[in-house]
Amino acid sequence: MLELIDITKKYKQTKAVKNMNMYIEKGEIVGLLGPNGAGKSTAISILSSLLEPTSGDVKFRNKSMIKNPKSLRQIIGIVPQEIALYEDLSAEENMKFFGRIYRLKGEKLKNKISEVLEQIGLADRRKDVVKTFSGGMKRRLNIGVAMLHDPEILIMDEPTVGIDPQSRNYILQTVKRLNKERQMTVLYTSHYMEEVEYLCDRIYIMDKGNLIASGTKDEIKQILASENTIYLKADYWNESFITKLQEKPQIHQMKVEGNEIVLVVSKDVAIFSKLAHLAEETSVQLRAVDVKQVTLEDVFLHLTGRALRD
Amino acid sequence: MIFQMIKKQYLQFLRNPVEIVLLIGLPIILITILGNALGNLIDGGEIDLTFKLAIIEHEDEEIQVENFLTELENGDLPDEIIAAFAAVTDSLAPVEMFKEVLRSEELNDMIIVEEAHAREMDAIKADDSYAAILEFPENFSADLLENILLDEKMNPEAIIHYKAGSEIAGNIVEQIVAMYQEEFTLGTFLGNNGIDPQQLQQKGAEITQEVSSVSPHEPLSAKAYYTIGMIVMNVLFMATTIAQYAFRERQSHIFNRMIIADFSRWVYFIGILLTALIFAWIQAILVFIFAYFAFDVTWPDLTAFLVITFFFTLAVGGLAVLLTAISFRSNSEQIISFFSGVVVTIFAFLGGSFFPSGTGSFLGKLGDYTPNGAAMSAYLSILRGESITDNADHLIFIACFAIGAIIIGVISYPKRGAAS
Repeated sequence: MLELIDITKKYKQTKAVKNMNMYIEKGEIVGLLGPNGAGKSTAISILSSLLEPTSGDVKFRNKSMIKNPKSLRQIIGIVPQEIALYEDLSAEENMKFFGRIYRLKGEKLKNKISEVLEQIGLADRRKDVVKTFSGGMKRRLNIGVAMLHDPEILIMDEPTVGIDPQSRNYILQTVKRLNKERQMTVLYTSHYMEEVEYLCDRIYIMDKGNLIASGTKDEIKQILASENTIYLKADYWNESFITKLQEKPQIHQMKVEGNEIVLVVSKDVAIFSKLAHLAEETSVQLRAVDVKQVTLEDVFLHLTGRALRD
Repeated sequence: MIFQMIKKQYLQFLRNPVEIVLLIGLPIILITILGNALGNLIDGGEIDLTFKLAIIEHEDEEIQVENFLTELENGDLPDEIIAAFAAVTDSLAPVEMFKEVLRSEELNDMIIVEEAHAREMDAIKADDSYAAILEFPENFSADLLENILLDEKMNPEAIIHYKAGSEIAGNIVEQIVAMYQEEFTLGTFLGNNGIDPQQLQQKGAEITQEVSSVSPHEPLSAKAYYTIGMIVMNVLFMATTIAQYAFRERQSHIFNRMIIADFSRWVYFIGILLTALIFAWIQAILVFIFAYFAFDVTWPDLTAFLVITFFFTLAVGGLAVLLTAISFRSNSEQIISFFSGVVVTIFAFLGGSFFPSGTGSFLGKLGDYTPNGAAMSAYLSILRGESITDNADHLIFIACFAIGAIIIGVISYPKRGAAS
């Protein structure tokens, strides 16, 4: 349905996106995962026709959208990372303005506004000025505005940044519902892997402008199928313990986070006795050793050596 | 859709009363302040500058002149010259002559002269009723005569003291002394060389009489002048306000929403142009209405007034488009801040918003090449009773400015919307 083909975007000397390939099929929720600055926003700006790529092509139903994106623009709705609303206008006034921009009018616009306000749970606050809203309410209205013209594809750029867990949950539920009830195609970017893991059928992982992995959740997790993620906990770590851990060839990845160490190790290696021995040797008092199922966060750590939120 | 842009701006203004106060209240306050404070300069009134001056001579001038003549007689000058000097002894009393000048009709109303003895100096200094003291040191007149007639000795100096807060009085006395000294020296020089000083004065007077200005039209009141001055200046802020709102739209990605909705950039900048034009027009009209009721500023030709207002607000709309386009292109609000902080002030200064720069003067001509200056000249001309056709040049300039700003704005508009 919508494809990015070998897209590169260069800003002076910096390549924000490098040779990116991506596709979205009708009715699926696709996640674009990556830390801040990975190039996600640039990629979706190109996908939504806001930016022209330096090279490559954007195809919608097999037609290039680079020079004439009109047909694409008619069927996409965009939810930017920023609150793209007039803070001095009420929820209803904002919706009226953006509805008119999308050439809706009269009864149709009126009904649509009521319907969307119901969907995003702001019907009772329709007359209130946006600047009086909480962060979560603004985020919901930000999404509502993008849904006014019944887009086929909804592109959401970090729609849950900086809001409370309750509002976040509401937004995630709304996205799920829209996809289920209306077969709405969603491209969802986030650096919260649990959101992407919960919502998306397929996932693309970006880092430093590169697409480093793609596939279904299971396919991506298969990258670590031969490995285990082990979490070690202690009151404190000493340098000798950490150095000796790093020297062990069975440990593929290691990350120290306060009193916790995350290790990615080969499944077929008996590592526990070695860890216990090493702790004893270096006088480290281990409090807990935990083996967990592979998460997307682990995959990202494995692929980049960094955590998603670094 | 353009209507939606205007309506949205109207709602934003409505919910930002501070902005409305700044755009409409500020010119009203400025008109009131400037109209009253600087009114005298324009209305031809006089500022009250009457002050009291004490003159202190350390030595009697008559004795000094006598001593000077005695010294001359004892010297080696020819007898005829000494006789000629003695014959005009009266005119060789510079301090006395200076006092006559101060007591003349022209200065009599402004300066109250009181002579005092040197020993009274401290008492006079302590007396607040005196604005300035003019002190002639010992042998002042003799030294002055010696300097002028014999080209000997240094030019003696009279000392001027003025009280704190009486700088203007001190300055006036200083200038009168300098002018008098110049004239006294010139007169004596001419006399010595056989030229009749009165003949020169006659010529000077003839020249002065030729430089006269007669305006056939009604004079303007200060409040009327500053009503126009402040409106043409403050309406420029509407361009920066609208451009600022547009830039915020871009920063918050509202503009991107519009681009994705396939909202044509042409429609967008026509929206900016019309929004700025309409609100600038409302702003100007509201202040003019206030001036009509508060200061009795009435327009002899209402149609001409409305035409000028339309042309000027069109230029403001063009400026809004240009500032929006440049700020979008440079991805920075700096150009808007620079325009509102610096360019508007320069335009207002050149355009004559703060004080009349004078028709035909360099500043006046330069001011006519600013949109506000051209509009101001046209408004003033209409207010004086001239017709709209007399202002065709101003209107053509304003229209060209508006079209130029719009074209440059359109050219510099970014091709595609911004992305983070």
